[in-house]
Amino acid sequence: MSPFFRKRTKSEQPKQTIPKSEIMIENEDKRITSNLKSNIEHFHKIFKNDMDFLIREFHVGGKSAALLCLTSLVEREEVERDIIQPLQEQTNLNMTIISSIPTILEKDILYHADVQKEKNLSTLIQSITLGKVIVLLEGVEEAILFDAIRQEKRAIDQPETERVVRGPKDGFIEQISTNVALLRYRLPVPEFRIEKTEVGTRTRTKVAVCFLEDIANDTLLKEVKTRIDAIQIDGVLDAGYIEQFIQDNPWSPFPQIQNTERPDKVVGNLLEGRVAILVEGSPFALIAPATFNQFYQTSEDYYDRWLITSAIRTIRILALIFSLTFSSFYVTVLSFHPELIPSGFVVAASSGRHGVPFPVFVEVLLMEIAMEILREATIRMPQQVGGALSIVGVLVVGQAAVQAGFVSPITVVIIALSTIGSFATPSYNAATSFRMLRFPLIILAGTFGLLGLAVGIVLILNHMIGLRSFGVPFMSPISPGDASSNKDSIIRAPLNWLKARPKEINPKNKKRVGGRVKDKAEHNFLSKDGGKPDET
Amino acid sequence: MKHSDSVTSVQFAIIIAGTILGVSILALPRFVIEEAGNAAPLASVVGMIISFIGLLGLLYLGKRFPNQTFIGYSKTILGKLFGNFIMVLFLLVALVLIGLETRQFAEVLVGGLLPDTPIHFSIFAMLFLCSVINFSNVSTFAYIHFFYFPLIIIPLLIVLLPSFKDIEYYHLLPITGHEISLTEFMSGAIVIMAAVSNYYILSMVIPYLKNPKKCVTPGIWGFLIGTFFVLFLVTISLAVFGEMKILEMLWSTLVLARMVEVPGEILARIDAIFIISWIFAVFTTLLSYYFIFVRGVAEIFSTKKYRLISFIALPIAFFIALFPRDIFDVYSYLRVFWTGSVMFYFVYVFFLMVIAKVRRKKGSVG
Repeated sequence: MSPFFRKRTKSEQPKQTIPKSEIMIENEDKRITSNLKSNIEHFHKIFKNDMDFLIREFHVGGKSAALLCLTSLVEREEVERDIIQPLQEQTNLNMTIISSIPTILEKDILYHADVQKEKNLSTLIQSITLGKVIVLLEGVEEAILFDAIRQEKRAIDQPETERVVRGPKDGFIEQISTNVALLRYRLPVPEFRIEKTEVGTRTRTKVAVCFLEDIANDTLLKEVKTRIDAIQIDGVLDAGYIEQFIQDNPWSPFPQIQNTERPDKVVGNLLEGRVAILVEGSPFALIAPATFNQFYQTSEDYYDRWLITSAIRTIRILALIFSLTFSSFYVTVLSFHPELIPSGFVVAASSGRHGVPFPVFVEVLLMEIAMEILREATIRMPQQVGGALSIVGVLVVGQAAVQAGFVSPITVVIIALSTIGSFATPSYNAATSFRMLRFPLIILAGTFGLLGLAVGIVLILNHMIGLRSFGVPFMSPISPGDASSNKDSIIRAPLNWLKARPKEINPKNKKRVGGRVKDKAEHNFLSKDGGKPDET
Repeated sequence: MKHSDSVTSVQFAIIIAGTILGVSILALPRFVIEEAGNAAPLASVVGMIISFIGLLGLLYLGKRFPNQTFIGYSKTILGKLFGNFIMVLFLLVALVLIGLETRQFAEVLVGGLLPDTPIHFSIFAMLFLCSVINFSNVSTFAYIHFFYFPLIIIPLLIVLLPSFKDIEYYHLLPITGHEISLTEFMSGAIVIMAAVSNYYILSMVIPYLKNPKKCVTPGIWGFLIGTFFVLFLVTISLAVFGEMKILEMLWSTLVLARMVEVPGEILARIDAIFIISWIFAVFTTLLSYYFIFVRGVAEIFSTKKYRLISFIALPIAFFIALFPRDIFDVYSYLRVFWTGSVMFYFVYVFFLMVIAKVRRKKGSVG
């Protein structure tokens, strides 16, 4: 085979690494000296005159000491009460053996909970930027580190993007520690693991991989961790960065990893054997692997009764299919296959179109684009002018356009149906990908008719069937079919039927539901004979 | 996480059934009735039984060589040179069939259903759909078959079941036909044999089964499901229309579809839905041919560049599809290739079986 086609082997591929911070490299192997003045000078040289950089000098038992921190990151009160106060109060300290001073301070004097000792300069510099407080002492070649970080937090409130009628109303926030706490208190078991790594050479973002170690599949876990470790980037500002790096097929329009703001949803998925990824600074947790099924399901589906839920899920599927195909089907029927229109509709369809200057294809395409612009505008706009937009949207685009003979009323109805259909999908990103796929379908339908539409649909379906998320077929359990997992796909069977965790994820521990409650219940109060046989 | 690239027995059966239901379901009843007249159902049964023997032969070979494909064991049994020669021939026939079947599909579309669709687009679109599939993954191929199968079967049933009310039993009688000769009867049977002979796909899939030794039962089931629908279709068409009327129609199944009325007047005619499901059926059948070709060529050249092969096959198949002048030309070519390939498959499979016995060749187990 010619070298042109030859694939590069792994070792031949150019290794790309991001350059490290120069300050860190410079201080890589340096240690702090016994001279307090030069130590302080060294830190001052690095942080210069930063607004929040604090150097507080004081005396500990007659010896000079200094406290360094970034005030914006630490809890001021805590520093004053637990670090400076006990240290300053020591007047008669045995300072003869210099090397033992840090240990004495740590063991006898300081009240603070999280105390460490550190000699390496680069680590100390890093710790300051991470919100730690360091205390340097004259003549001591070791610094004491305190974790006194204070974070700006917002309150935990209901997730904006995933509202439920019934179910828990708390949502993740930006701080990973709070998010972990929200998960921990729902899963008080020793098997719940949260493994931390850091991604981003500059942001040093904490990324936590959460799983239940006796349920999650080992291969899956290993794959998730390897992919996260392989990420090389300077900054991670949201979970979306991680998602894009670790997904299987970046060319696919469909999301292959689920994101959610709801802790209960994460716990539900962990219990199914999936792996959740929390990212510092992002209120969204990632869940892998994701299948198509998950994008039209909500956590509420499991809280309500199964019969109703199953009906609602079916409606959501219908809405999804509507949103994808309705407008393109309308285009192809009206422009190429009028014989498919029932006789009752012919008059309505053609009289409405009287005087419309465009062919249906252009009309629908324009309206769809207008609709997308409206949607995008509604998201980006300040809330105060929201009223104005809906007036413009409804009156101008809808009513006025029809009255002006610009579009036919039926087109407006069709567009409205397909747009509303996409809003009924619980997962915003999946709904968006389906809405965007509408456009190529409309173009195919408008140029090649029913065959074009069918070809487009087959292409999309084939892509979905071939897609895999962490090795799990995207369309499972519909294709490849699995009877037991299909109990929780388009319908949601009663909870006591869902005896096994989803098979496609291959969990270690398979069983999750025991026998029926009815078999154990002793009384049946509502039955005529009062449940227990009457003695009299 | 690498998913194991294997096929379950249910998927295996569905691959066979889905491959059997293809382009021809629209016109097949007319073809058979043209040859065998009123004896069409009986001729179909006979054709199916003969095909079934061929199926058993193939399954036997598959069982004997559990981790080799048709290409693989041909080489083992006949030796490298001769085996490869025959297989190249076999793959060329497969490629020609891809082209001709696609043309047939396009002609049906233009002739009966979507007269405004340019024929080049229909041919290209269908071939394009097949060629963009990732053939390196046999399980994806199986998933595709599995997914579309209900979408093919359900509309077919929606068309066939309401037709029961229009059945006239005298159309079916006498079941031996009105004084037809044995040649006519057998040519009817051969039409059916050709139509269902694409169960050959199984010989390429057996090594990817979870347990290749257990290929026989699902293989037979798949064949039975596929042929059941074919027989059902032929019988219902004959029973509803009768011999004379059906010969006037080009696509008798489509006429059946047009007779279905949907309550509520959502669509004036159900046939649009049926056409889409028929497109699915055509797609799965062509996909199977394409699969045979791409995987086969890759195996002969022992490479894994499936994408390259499928994109090279696309223009070739496209030109083959454009070669015949019109639909009648297509059918005259198809008839030659069908009959030829049926004979070839039949003779060849039993030839292979005998040689394998004589030379005591056996696939390695494991």
